[in-house]
Amino acid sequence: MIKLIPKAMGNVLNSHNINLLDKEQQEINDWLDDVSTHQDKVAFSQLFKFFAPRIRSHGLKKFGQEAVAMELVQETMMLVWRKAHQFDPNKGKGSTWIYTIMRNYSFDMLRKIKSNKEDLMSEDLWPSIDVEDDQEEDDHLQTKNILSHIGKLPALQRQVVEQIYINDKTQQELANELAVPLGTIKSRLRLAMSKLRDMMEKEHD
Amino acid sequence: MIKFHPNKQMLAAFSAGELPLSLSIAMSAHIELCDECAAKAVKIEAQLSHDTWQDTVLEEANFGDMLQAIMSNEPTPVDKIAIKPKTVTQVGGNNYQLPTAFSNFNCLKWSGFGPVSRARVISDEQHVRASLLYIAAQGKIPEHHHKGYELTLLLEGSFEDEMGTYQKGDFIWIDGELNHSPYTEKGCLCYAVQNAPLHFVRGMSKVLNPLGNLIY
Repeated sequence: MIKLIPKAMGNVLNSHNINLLDKEQQEINDWLDDVSTHQDKVAFSQLFKFFAPRIRSHGLKKFGQEAVAMELVQETMMLVWRKAHQFDPNKGKGSTWIYTIMRNYSFDMLRKIKSNKEDLMSEDLWPSIDVEDDQEEDDHLQTKNILSHIGKLPALQRQVVEQIYINDKTQQELANELAVPLGTIKSRLRLAMSKLRDMMEKEHD
Repeated sequence: MIKFHPNKQMLAAFSAGELPLSLSIAMSAHIELCDECAAKAVKIEAQLSHDTWQDTVLEEANFGDMLQAIMSNEPTPVDKIAIKPKTVTQVGGNNYQLPTAFSNFNCLKWSGFGPVSRARVISDEQHVRASLLYIAAQGKIPEHHHKGYELTLLLEGSFEDEMGTYQKGDFIWIDGELNHSPYTEKGCLCYAVQNAPLHFVRGMSKVLNPLGNLIY
């Protein structure tokens, strides 16, 4: 049992009081709000300036490798940029929300390193979105639509989507197979996803 | 009413993302069933966040064009957040909807021995096995002990052993050489995590080996 508990957690166990929003916390919430409402690049740069070095430092302590720590910074901040509108200030501080994003990503990273699994379990372990009832039917329709749209993607992007989502390959496996860097797979996938989204949005209009 | 909860150390380790997947699933599922622990987890997350960001001795680091690269991406549209359906599994003639933590496990394979059926959830962690166990009404698991730990999260039904009676949501952690012999009157579904095989305490142990292997 004891072995399971990581070091440096004594602080948490003594649960001292958490202060109400101080000036710094209020600033973080405001920046997030600006990114959420109008993709404010100045506000996001401020968030990046504050969090990037801290995430890197946390990543170095946890993983002991510069490249892995940098990936954690990149992916956490990317999620903050893209999902800022999911942050709900009524549910807690912005800094805590960013912490949970980093925690989730690093859980999946650790699993990838230890078990070579890319199953992205963190979304299910820490579900953040309140489920709405009518969503399920929508999902089913969407699946059908997505399949028809995948065929319209450029060949390289289609290949990545098909291999990963339909044939269940990991990103790393695919990178090896195609002899390209992992980053290339990631960016092709990202492009493909944003195209698919555009196609589906047009359909909805 | 849930009477058995994970301790604070486990909650903290889970919230920090430090527990292996097998135990994280149990923690997540318990939190989904237990408002009391859900509230504690929220507080712990806030505290962990506070401690993590407090880091004041920061090295200079060169992030290159990372910031610009991130901001060249489009944000995820609000209404395009996919929600996975929960897993439903069929065993003992019933359909059970499993907690969100099991959403990825949608093709569970059940196999049985006597009153006990098992579906493996995780077997890729060193020495650790995690399974769903279904015990039919009036099923009993012979007295046994574990060399390591045994975690049982009761998902449906109830069972009892020498230490008490357990209800849906109870998180039962047994560490070390404690003997017990669970019995269920009306049947139950549990999620069990163990890090060592069971040892049956009383005679006939050879006969029981298949059961031991099935449960571990």
